[in-house]
Amino acid sequence: MNELTLPIRNLLGRPTRTALTTAGIAVAIAGFVSLTGLTSGVRHSLSAGIEEPGADLVVSQRGAFSLIASTVPETLGPVLSAVDGVDAVSGAVLNLTTADDAANILVAAWPERSFLWRSVNLVDGRLPAAGEEWSVVLGESIAEGLGKKVGDTIELQFQPYEIVGIAAFTSTFNQNIAIVPLKGMQELLGRDGIVTLYQVRLARPLDSDRIAEVKRRLVEAAPGYHVSNTEDLAGDIRLLNLIQSIASTVSLVVLAMACLGIANTLLMAVSERTVEIGILSAIGWAPARIMRLIVIEGLVMSLIGGVIGVGLGAITMELVTRTEIAAGILRPYLTTTLVAQALVAVLIAGPLAALYPAWHATRLVPADALRTN
Amino acid sequence: MPRPDESPKPLIELDHVHREFDGGRIVAVDDVSLSVVAGETVAIVGRSGSGKSTLLNLVCGLDLPTRGAVRFAGRSIAGRAAWATIRAEHFGFVFQNFCLIPTLNVRENVEVAMLGRGSDGRRRGERVDSLLGRLGLAGRSHLHPTSLSGGERQRLAIARALANNPDVLVADEPTGSLDRDSSDQVMEIIAELHRDFGTAIVIVTHDREVAAVCHRHIELADGRVVRNHAASADGAADARRTQAPSSP
Repeated sequence: MNELTLPIRNLLGRPTRTALTTAGIAVAIAGFVSLTGLTSGVRHSLSAGIEEPGADLVVSQRGAFSLIASTVPETLGPVLSAVDGVDAVSGAVLNLTTADDAANILVAAWPERSFLWRSVNLVDGRLPAAGEEWSVVLGESIAEGLGKKVGDTIELQFQPYEIVGIAAFTSTFNQNIAIVPLKGMQELLGRDGIVTLYQVRLARPLDSDRIAEVKRRLVEAAPGYHVSNTEDLAGDIRLLNLIQSIASTVSLVVLAMACLGIANTLLMAVSERTVEIGILSAIGWAPARIMRLIVIEGLVMSLIGGVIGVGLGAITMELVTRTEIAAGILRPYLTTTLVAQALVAVLIAGPLAALYPAWHATRLVPADALRTN
Repeated sequence: MPRPDESPKPLIELDHVHREFDGGRIVAVDDVSLSVVAGETVAIVGRSGSGKSTLLNLVCGLDLPTRGAVRFAGRSIAGRAAWATIRAEHFGFVFQNFCLIPTLNVRENVEVAMLGRGSDGRRRGERVDSLLGRLGLAGRSHLHPTSLSGGERQRLAIARALANNPDVLVADEPTGSLDRDSSDQVMEIIAELHRDFGTAIVIVTHDREVAAVCHRHIELADGRVVRNHAASADGAADARRTQAPSSP
C-alpha cells in the first residue's frame, strides 16, 4: 500500500464518473493539441515551403493580413537585386484556389528565369518551356491525391493548365503545390506588375552575421516592406496570428470547462466519502495529507485525460488534414514541445481544480463526518 | 482489569470543557473537568443523549470544545492539525459502526493508519502481519470488510487501532453492533491489550458488563458528570475529582 492506493481505489470505485471526467479532460486536451498543432503546422509548413527552393530572405508587404493578400510591385525587384550581398531575387505570386473545382490547392507562380525553378526535383516530365504560360508542375502529393499525371489537364483559377511535370519536395507545403509561370497567373488574377512577395537568395558563403547585415541593407533599400527570414515570415502574417489567438482562446475555454468538471467530480466524491475522510482524520491523517489525497485524484484523472487527449488530438489532426477542404493546406504538426505544453497544462489544471474540494475535505470535523456513518 | 501502578501523571485532562451546538441552544457537554492517567481504564456511561460520545470526541480531539481546554500529556492542544498528530501517535479508535474503509482490504485497513505516520513499508508489513495474526485475521487479509462478520470487522478495527502502538484506546460502544459471543471476544481482546501493554482505555458504553471491566466509571447526565468513581470489589464509589484536573 502506498500514497496512491486510496486515490486509485476511489477512482476505480466510481468508474463511470471517473471515465466521464477523464474523457472531458481528454477532449479539452485533444482540442488544444489539434488546434495548436494545425495552426503551428501551417506556420511551419509555410516557412519550410518558402525556404526549400533556396530562398534565404523574403520581402513582403508589411503587416499583410494574409500572405496571399500581400502586394509588392515588380519595380522593387531590380532595387533588391542591386543590394550588395544579394545573389538573386525572384518575385512570386501565391494564391489559394481550387483544382478542377474540387480540392483546395496552393498555386505558386514564378517568373520564367527565376532561380527558384532550379530547386524543382522532377520525378516525371519537364519544367514549363519559355512562353508556355498554361503549363504546370504539380507537387507529388497533390498529383497523387488528384490522380493526375504528366499530360493531363488541370483547371486552376478557371483556366485549364497542362501538367508538364511532377516534382518531389521535402516540405508538405511544396508537395501540395502547383507551380505555374508568373505572367499567365498575373493575367488571370489581374495583378499585372504585382507579386505577392520577393524571395531573395544571398551570395555564399553565409553566416548569421552576413545574413543580418544583408537583411539590414534590404530594409534600407525597401523601406515600408517587411524583410524577414523564412522561419520568421509566418510570424508576421496577421491571419495566422489571429487563427493562433482563436485556437488558444478556444483551448483555454475548453480546458477551463474540463477543470470545472474535475472540481465537480471531486466535490461530489468528497461529499460521498465524508465518513472515509472522517475515518482518516480520526486515525491521525493530517489535514494536509487528506488534501493531498484529493489533489492526487485530480492529478491522476488529469494525467490520464491528458495522455489520451494528446493521442486523440494527433488522430483529430490527421483526420482533419485528410478532409477535402484541408488537404494540402493543413498538416499535422505534433512536436514534443506541444505534447509537453499539453501535459503541463493538465498537470497544473487538474490539481488546481482539485484544490477547492480538497480544502473542503479538510474542513470536515471528524466527529461530524463519522456521525454520518 | 488490574489497576494501574502507583499514581501516574494525567495523560488526558479536560478543564471546564463545554460543547454546544446550534448556537448554544444544545449543550452536549456542560463544564466537564476530568483526567485520565496512563494505563487507566475508564468507562463513560449514561443514558442516550447524555453527551457520552461528544465527551469521548472531545477527549481525543475528534471534536473541539466550544469553551475550556483539553490537554494531552500536560500540553494544551488546539487545532485540527495538532490533534491529528496527537491521534496518529497516541490514540487508537474503535467505533460501534467499525468505521472501516470499504475500498481497502483487511490488510490495507490496518496499514492505512500507519501510512498517516509515514512508517516505511517493511516495518508496516511486519506490524500488520503481527496484528492480524494476534487478532485471528491472518487468513482474511485480502478480503474486504464487507466480506467479514461483525465480530471480525470489530477485530479488524481493533487491529487498526493498535497499528501505531497507542497510549490510549478510545472505543465508542465497541460492542454495540455485536452479539454476545462476539462482544465477549472483543472485550477479552481489549482487556488483553490493557494487561499486556498497559494501554489506557476510554470506553463509551451502555453495557454494564463492558463497564464492569473498567477501573473507573464516569457517569453523565445532561452533559454533566454526575458521578466519577473508581469501581471497587464491593461496587462502592471511590470518589475522584470531577472538577479542575490536577496539574501534570
